[in-house]
Amino acid sequence: MAPLFAKVLIANRGEIAVRIIRTCRELGIASAAVYSEADRESLHVLLADEAVLLGPAPAAESYLAIERIIAAARASGADAVHPGYGFLAENARLAEACAGAGLVFIGPPPAAIRSMGDKMAARRVALQMKVPVVPGTEHPLRDDAEAARAAAEIGYPIMIKAARGGGGKGMRLVRAPGELAGALRTARSEAGAAFGDAAVYVERYVEEPRHIEIQVLADGHGGIVHLGERECSIQRRHQKLVEESPSPFLDADLRRRMGEAACRVAAAAGYVNAGTVEFLVDRDRRFYFLEMNTRLQVEHPVTELVTGRDLVKEQLRIAAGEKLGFAQDDVVRHGWAIECRINAEDPAAGFIPSPGRIASLRPASGPWVRDDSGVYGGYTIPRFYDTLMAKLIVWAPDRDTAVARMARALAEYQVVGVTTTIPLLRRIMGHEDFIAGRLSTHFLDRLVESDRPPAAGRRRAVALAAAAIAAYERVGRTVPAASSATGSAWRRVVWPGWRQR
Amino acid sequence: MRFAAELGGETVFIEVTEESGRYRVDVGGEALEVDAREVGEGVWSLVVGGASHLVAVSDREGRSAVDVDGESYGIHVEEETRYIVRARGDQGATGAQVLRAPMPGKVVLIEVEAGQPVAAGDGLVVLEAMKMENEFRAQRAGRVREIRVSAGQTVNAGDVLVVIE
Repeated sequence: MAPLFAKVLIANRGEIAVRIIRTCRELGIASAAVYSEADRESLHVLLADEAVLLGPAPAAESYLAIERIIAAARASGADAVHPGYGFLAENARLAEACAGAGLVFIGPPPAAIRSMGDKMAARRVALQMKVPVVPGTEHPLRDDAEAARAAAEIGYPIMIKAARGGGGKGMRLVRAPGELAGALRTARSEAGAAFGDAAVYVERYVEEPRHIEIQVLADGHGGIVHLGERECSIQRRHQKLVEESPSPFLDADLRRRMGEAACRVAAAAGYVNAGTVEFLVDRDRRFYFLEMNTRLQVEHPVTELVTGRDLVKEQLRIAAGEKLGFAQDDVVRHGWAIECRINAEDPAAGFIPSPGRIASLRPASGPWVRDDSGVYGGYTIPRFYDTLMAKLIVWAPDRDTAVARMARALAEYQVVGVTTTIPLLRRIMGHEDFIAGRLSTHFLDRLVESDRPPAAGRRRAVALAAAAIAAYERVGRTVPAASSATGSAWRRVVWPGWRQR
Repeated sequence: MRFAAELGGETVFIEVTEESGRYRVDVGGEALEVDAREVGEGVWSLVVGGASHLVAVSDREGRSAVDVDGESYGIHVEEETRYIVRARGDQGATGAQVLRAPMPGKVVLIEVEAGQPVAAGDGLVVLEAMKMENEFRAQRAGRVREIRVSAGQTVNAGDVLVVIE
């Protein structure tokens, strides 16, 4: 059988570009990577069949430059473009530019990207399809006065959101009228910087909400199915950190109703390809349409592991014009999958990014462990892009086993040289609320705020001994062997500056 | 060689002596016989009394992040002589809080004015780095002595943003 495409250009970087290269290779499709000047040594460039330089490090001059992506696709002779997630993945102009250049865009049609990308238009589609939405304004706010009126009408607390938002940028929680003006200012500034559009709207804030999303696949022949849910409630600043499927909160009936609602919204939007419909679910198991993401999600692997279906392959098949070839009843879900995002961030310092050189990397492996990584030992994480280094995913027959397996894998995962979210992820896996499945989007705020347990016992002594031995060896290496042990204070050792915090 | 190590606000004195690849480490009075091998850059295998520990030691800004069998510790290690010199010097410190940019980025917002009193936890500066806005807050109460940057300005790691006295 002939491959679906001869060559796919991947208009992205990092772990998702690597992920797409892998499926292409399995399907006999050549892969062309693109890269900025900061990414010559990135893993996706190393692994792809071909690599095309886009331009300078800033994304606006490389990964966000549509004309450069199209030129790279033409230069490489690709017949299709996969946008990954982020960057141009939800940009209708890239989809149109591909069509104009005779390239297949591996994603939904431009009209579907536009209607779902406009958060308020998406809310109107959901309402038309009798899918509940969180109460809020149906159009962008003109000014602060209108925002104040709308917020008073909806009732505090409210959430400010970017009209073209995503990834938590341009979002602010406002608990009282006095906080509104400041929150509007920062939300608009973030939205303008991130999306080139400072428009924001307000929504009622759902207390103790769970964030649960439904994976949808639609072909170009009217076929549409959902692949069940992903629970994404463990978030920091509205960015997901841990995801799992199924959700410990859903039963078969709620899953079926949310799945049907997701398919109705996607069908009404004229959606084709893989997409995700996000819902908030409140304490009383009422669900509200939040938005539709018109792309492959970061957390798609948990769905792959419980359904046994390669979502990138499905995307390529749909884009090539094939029928889904299976119906809703053929979607069989099996076992439990959890994903943890390993980011170059310091959770103890407000998740500040910590780019830099990875001195050593020893990823987890072993039974039912998957490491979707974009980095390697010796690689320097550039400071220009997001902080996601790798996604660690495990599968098990049931949730308890999956949590224990993830804890085991995280204990194995070692990164030397940059600060990562791994220690925090280990604490989450050991937390009684997580183990019991008591999740909400506030879980992490409380965990980060609570004090760490005091370091004690044998491991503490071993940690201190190791730190001292490492310091001893480091000092030893910088000094001529002839120097005496008592002269240590005069050795020319460069100590990093100590500063008061 | 003697070291002073700070962990969780506590200072522990450690003495390391080495003989043909084996270490004798005295950790605050507890004596350990350690067979230590660096098996990767910053990755150590420690066999201590028959127990095997895999330990990762990362150095960041003068602190070591030490990862032992899935548990993480932040440890500041320095030679004891340096610790003693520094501990003496600190007694004359003014107690000013100097907020420095921890990484390169763009100043999005300055939330305070010079001369303004601030409480612990008050927002000072919002810095955009790696696609996220990060708010930096006062560590403790004081008064804004100096603002060294303006909104829209690009800063490098280590640049002083705000001084609180």
